[in-house]
Amino acid sequence: MVESVSVPLSVYRFDPGRDASPRYVDYRLDLPRHTPVLTALLKIRSEIDSSLSLRYSCRSAICGSCAMLINSKSRLACQTQVGPELDLHGRIVIDPMRNQPVLRDLVVDQRPFWQDYERILPHLVTDPRHPMPEGKPNPMTPEQVERFHETPRCIACGACYSACPAKEADPTFPGPMALAKLYRFVVDPRDGATRERLLRIQPGGLWTCLRCHLCTTSCPKDVQPSERIRDLKELAIREQGATEAGSRHAVGFKENLHDRGLLNEMRLVRQTDGVLGMLRQAPQGIRIAAKKPELLHKPRRIEGQEEVRRLYELLEDEEGGA
Amino acid sequence: MRLAYYPGCVAQESGKELDMATRWVARKLGIELVEFPKFSCCGSGFVDEANMVLNVALNARNLSFAEAAGLDLLTICSTCQGMLTLANRKLEEPAIRTRVDSALGQLGLHYSGTTKVKHLLQVLTESYPPEKLQPLVVRPLRGLKVGAFYGCHLLRPQGELPGEDGEDPHSFEDLLRALGAEPVMYRGRVMCCGFPILFVKEGTANRIAGRQIEDAAAHGAHAMATPCPLCHISLDSFQNHAAREVGHPLDMPIFHLPQLVGLALGATPEELGLARHLVDTEAALRRIGTVATPA
Repeated sequence: MVESVSVPLSVYRFDPGRDASPRYVDYRLDLPRHTPVLTALLKIRSEIDSSLSLRYSCRSAICGSCAMLINSKSRLACQTQVGPELDLHGRIVIDPMRNQPVLRDLVVDQRPFWQDYERILPHLVTDPRHPMPEGKPNPMTPEQVERFHETPRCIACGACYSACPAKEADPTFPGPMALAKLYRFVVDPRDGATRERLLRIQPGGLWTCLRCHLCTTSCPKDVQPSERIRDLKELAIREQGATEAGSRHAVGFKENLHDRGLLNEMRLVRQTDGVLGMLRQAPQGIRIAAKKPELLHKPRRIEGQEEVRRLYELLEDEEGGA
Repeated sequence: MRLAYYPGCVAQESGKELDMATRWVARKLGIELVEFPKFSCCGSGFVDEANMVLNVALNARNLSFAEAAGLDLLTICSTCQGMLTLANRKLEEPAIRTRVDSALGQLGLHYSGTTKVKHLLQVLTESYPPEKLQPLVVRPLRGLKVGAFYGCHLLRPQGELPGEDGEDPHSFEDLLRALGAEPVMYRGRVMCCGFPILFVKEGTANRIAGRQIEDAAAHGAHAMATPCPLCHISLDSFQNHAAREVGHPLDMPIFHLPQLVGLALGATPEELGLARHLVDTEAALRRIGTVATPA
């Protein structure tokens, strides 16, 4: 017999049709430490309160239905055990996912998530220059499949979408899952719609991503969306050049380092924003420089700068490096 | 203890006060900071968006100098910590390793991959646990409620701060407690400061910073503290714009991590460069019985 521990749970409850505002209801269950949070919630529903609403199906981290906030982290309830959460927080607080409206209790309206997914054209668009062989398979080499990295493993649970602070601050950002899937099509040798896909994700685009990596720590399938978004940015710069403020910033930063080995903060603002942008920022710049006069000093250069330049020569040309 | 000191770009320019505070704390604790004028910028998460392999090579060059000197490398910036750790991890991929080795070889350099990259927070946690640090505290930060703000790249994607959960860390709060302060727990402590898009989508970046400051304030913080000078730019230098975005005034002093350590160990506000902040720190200093003389 496995020893049980007393588990305090605080669960978000809200029925917009009936309740004026959301509330938390506290429960206490005796459970073995390895019990999945989902099992705890189903026990509440079957033994304490049958009105608790939640989505779930497979209980095996395959269907992607039971993503929710567990002590503020976006996770699959079936894949998260109560023991480690108790160790960290002494209790377990359950909320519905973020960035999607609540329908009832832990069930959210996933339409924004799926609409963002549709923006990327989530299907193969054959490159007319390389038509599919009629009636025959179109196999890829193992090396080509390797380039997908882990993206086909995504189960569309929405945990990354819920965890994303860029999505929270800017609703036009497509979110990590859509961009990880976009990457999957961009590196698919059979696909020919990269340009159209990159257009369709505007205005939020790629460059609203904050690289906070919360999507990567939230992902139950190790898809590493933030790494794939980084890969996409590099591919987009190669495909389109530095056409947006975000790509100008990345390329400008790289040039800065080439010339001095260190960042020159003032020069980078000019490269990203242009001279007009710099003028717009001038009052703020003057305010900051009054306290931090180094901003106006002559930019410094590291010793051994020629080594840095040599690395650029050696590594910028290969594979058409930007 | 001797460490290869990697100050990063911002602490050598607009964030000079972070460098001042780090040197003060290192002197006090007997940590020798060995300087390498050949260190370049870590790429700050931007260069690798334009050319990842190049960025790994630039950091392998940095790491090779510390390796040749037989030293672990000390960072004082979450992003430097993240990028240098990332280089070590990427070098485990044979295809990247081959290209970087060959490029470094042409400069007459070699990096085997043995340099440990440690942020100041980790060095303090490992080598100065509470029982060792507390006896050195001459001015406990009693009565000061502080919201620790980690900075993403110190926590994620993986391995940047060994032994810490990427969304549930505790070492910064443990350190604050050892200094006598009262840590405030709030969601924003592991969130983004907005800096990566501050010059790309300023309004969005300011809004993100504003929300974290609001969150800390709502949980009772008198001040916030960060181990990252980029977070400091977003939260302190641009706090006026963050306030504009969230629609009400914010008045949250933002300390660099070694500034709070320095205050507790007896440094004066002048020695820690506190007058260089955009948001006045005086209200927080008064709570711990220190008042800055005007700059």
